[in-house]
Amino acid sequence: MIQALFIALSAFGLLMALGTVFARNLVNAALFLVAFFFVIACQFVLLEAEFMAAIQVLIYIGAVAVILMFGIMLTRNITGDETTTVSKPWRLLGLLVFGTVCTVLVLGINAYQPWTDLAVRPEFPVTKSTTTPRGQAVLSMTPTVGREMMTRYVVAFELAGLLLTAALVGAVVLAQHEASDVANANAEKAAGEPATANS
Amino acid sequence: MSQQIPLTWFLYFAAASFSIGLMGVLMRRNAIGVLMAIEIMLNAANVNFIAFWRYGPTPAGEGPISGVMMALFVVTVAAAEVAVGVGLILLCYRRWRAVDVDEFDTLSD
Repeated sequence: MIQALFIALSAFGLLMALGTVFARNLVNAALFLVAFFFVIACQFVLLEAEFMAAIQVLIYIGAVAVILMFGIMLTRNITGDETTTVSKPWRLLGLLVFGTVCTVLVLGINAYQPWTDLAVRPEFPVTKSTTTPRGQAVLSMTPTVGREMMTRYVVAFELAGLLLTAALVGAVVLAQHEASDVANANAEKAAGEPATANS
Repeated sequence: MSQQIPLTWFLYFAAASFSIGLMGVLMRRNAIGVLMAIEIMLNAANVNFIAFWRYGPTPAGEGPISGVMMALFVVTVAAAEVAVGVGLILLCYRRWRAVDVDEFDTLSD
């Protein structure tokens, strides 16, 4: 039963990924990508990581997909959507790379005995008396994530905060650069001077 | 739960998604399409992290949820990458009126 569910879900997800790659219209591709993100969230639920599923929906579908949609809308191609993929020989090369990488990965997964032996996941009975740390973590993931983030992974947590701050400042600097470009262009137009390179 | 999903099925799914994302990176001309394909690859890696965390043994000294924490940080980096990437693409679009990656062939103007 759950295996059939997994197969149906995975087939749907792979179809959505293919749609993201091959769709002519970029807006359609973004919608396919949203469906793919949702399938990934479902996979996380199947793996009993419901917290990660919630994070996936919040961040990827709620933020990343919206940012990508903004980017698509703001950079609408004037020449049409025909130029979104490369020409035919390069497309064949891409398909070749896809086949090669996929074959190598599947053969590698098949060949490694410890992975093929892991057919049954460790069981955690849903009781209050589960004492192993893994069982506690699976049954109550959100407090465990908070505790780990503040103790064991505090350096990585601070670095992630630094990275997000840097990304925010970088986005502001990019926007400001653009504003000064426009101001320069306006000033040059007013002064009647030729455009100069600004870096 | 008589018939459980083997670990390898998740790995197969992640491998196929990763290959599709790689193909998208190679085949898309549009820079935002390339970004979307990169997101597919990152998600495939996250599925691998969570699957190995759920099925594998607990590593000594790394806490009970090492795979989940790794996937969380991957999500963080991916979000920052998309924000900066779309900002850069918008800047390039305003400067050259193009979003195709094969049009960006100058280091400076």
